[in-house]
Amino acid sequence: MKLPGIPVSGGIVIGEVFRYEPFQAAPEISPIEKADVERNIEIYVEARSAARREMEEAQNRVMERAPDKAGILSAHMEILMDPVIDEEVRGMVCSDLLSADAAIASVFDKYSALLRKSKSASMRERASDLQDVKNRLLRCWAGVGERNLSSLEKPVIVVCDDLYPSDTVSIDRDNVLGIITQVGGTTSHTAIIARGYEIPAVLGVQDCMSLIRDGDTVVLDAENGEILLAPGDDEREAYAAKRESMSALSMEMRTWRGVEPVTRDGRRIWVGMNISGVSDYELAGAVCADGVGLFRTEFIYLGSDRIPDEDEQYRIYRKALDAFRGKPLIMRTLDIGGDKQLERFNLQSENNPFLGLRGLRLCFARPELFGAQIRAALRASAHGDLRLMLPMVSSLDEIQRAKEFIAEQGAKLDADGIAWNCCIKIGIMVEIPSIALIADLVAPYVDFVSIGTNDLCQYLNAADRLNPAVESCYQEYHPAMFRILGMIARGFAGADRTVGICGEIGGDPLAIPALLGLGIEKFSMCSASIAAAKRAICGLDMSDAVSLAQEVQQMKTESEVRARLQAFADNQPTLRGILEEGTSCIQKKFT
Amino acid sequence: MYSKKIHVKNATGLHARPAADFVAIAAKYDSNITLKRVDDEDLYNAKSIVMLLALGLENGEDAILSAEGADERDAVEALSDLIDSFTE
Repeated sequence: MKLPGIPVSGGIVIGEVFRYEPFQAAPEISPIEKADVERNIEIYVEARSAARREMEEAQNRVMERAPDKAGILSAHMEILMDPVIDEEVRGMVCSDLLSADAAIASVFDKYSALLRKSKSASMRERASDLQDVKNRLLRCWAGVGERNLSSLEKPVIVVCDDLYPSDTVSIDRDNVLGIITQVGGTTSHTAIIARGYEIPAVLGVQDCMSLIRDGDTVVLDAENGEILLAPGDDEREAYAAKRESMSALSMEMRTWRGVEPVTRDGRRIWVGMNISGVSDYELAGAVCADGVGLFRTEFIYLGSDRIPDEDEQYRIYRKALDAFRGKPLIMRTLDIGGDKQLERFNLQSENNPFLGLRGLRLCFARPELFGAQIRAALRASAHGDLRLMLPMVSSLDEIQRAKEFIAEQGAKLDADGIAWNCCIKIGIMVEIPSIALIADLVAPYVDFVSIGTNDLCQYLNAADRLNPAVESCYQEYHPAMFRILGMIARGFAGADRTVGICGEIGGDPLAIPALLGLGIEKFSMCSASIAAAKRAICGLDMSDAVSLAQEVQQMKTESEVRARLQAFADNQPTLRGILEEGTSCIQKKFT
Repeated sequence: MYSKKIHVKNATGLHARPAADFVAIAAKYDSNITLKRVDDEDLYNAKSIVMLLALGLENGEDAILSAEGADERDAVEALSDLIDSFTE
């Protein structure tokens, strides 16, 4: 049986399934009988020792690899063994006749609520530590073993409903062969991380959780976007052969990574990479790129168990700058909200998170969080070409307010005698239509812009990019996209500001000719897309690209645009080659 | 009962690492040990990390540290020495 899905990161793998279902606690609500008190206390004591054993084992495991994580575990251990919590849980069971799991939930929730009200940011963060310990304790109470993706015993294909950013960041890359999820589309965080790690992934696979069992062998074909259940011997062989021939092709593509991207008529195009962290793996592509066009700094928050402080962030930004040796590095300031990381940042849940308190808006609401990041970045700016990019900007007021805030943080550093680059370039992401439509007016107030096409597309089409039900409305090739991109490029070019693109479409060989023709000459993409993009650029003439861009802006539907881009590619030997090979480096577009 | 006024002077206040160190030392004594703000009646169990976090003493704040039991004097002296050793 075959299940269709959305391929977001290419490749073919055959392997055993690991179902990943985070534990969901459901504490008993009804009161217990007096006779059951003793039994409840017994199970509670057992759960507490089981949780303690787990933590001790985990501590031994990570002590050498990641001493900072060991520190977090010992903080959790102190919370677990806390005498006041222990006393209150026992009290609620004995006197209030609460089931012990309900008592655990109630006591931990009470104290996390208390900590969440604290004035100090670091105290509020501790609330999520309490929640972590609570969840572990409740899971042990239910007798359910620990499951996560950070230490897998063998190579597996992960099947789950959805992955949280924290799962995807701590994922055991050596043992995750592939990812299959029930929800999520081409631009979800799971997709972005899977591409960054070059892990084949098919998302939005309906019913995968009910149809696939733990230990099943499946074929994950992220070239065609399908999952094959219970493959027969000949099917396995056919897929293995296909896999072989693909890896030979991708070797050839790799040689293109180091090429200088110059069009046939001699225009040098800037090709940078998007990074989400500073692991050796993320930074390995530095030599092939002209710099970093997008450093998604929120992932350094989501990847660690707590919010990194100013010094930690400073070290991270320094490490990235050192890896790129003088090349520009554009860091996007914290862009959270809009998805699931509510708990860690103690955010209110919203009805329309993508239209809510996210990105720069959230930073203004949480100045202590924003201030720490800005000071860390400014300190790092003394050591390389670091540039700041503000996400989710919708008005000029916000640009001015952010620049004032940055200047204030700089003044604080001055007062402490700490060096920073006072000429640091400050730019914005263009992803909200309101700012795109006044591009020419705001251009004088920013040093550079980069277009975030994923969000721009969802706001322009009013289609949630994480909702598979409206995937067909999320049209990246919608003629309106090309019109607005052209408008942005003209608006900023008039003020002599460079315009870049850092959304997924920037690494798409089919779209690159039209984007170049619109006047966008800086492309930033995941490192896996660089080879194909450079190859596409090297085969192009700017004059052809300009007329192509003119044409698509006059088209009426996405399918017309797509057909035109395809026809253009068919007439270009290099582009045709890239698209026909359909190597695993290229993100597949779903029609 | 034996009490002493303490003064928090490290930048991050009495949470995170310093609070954990404090609790670890407090746990070594048999006496009941409590902390309270100078202008407040609420007592916080000093052997509980969660209570210390909830108390949330900030840099520059004063508090009353008390102990009651056989080793009350040693406990208070050891903990107030620890607080004095926190500097940043």
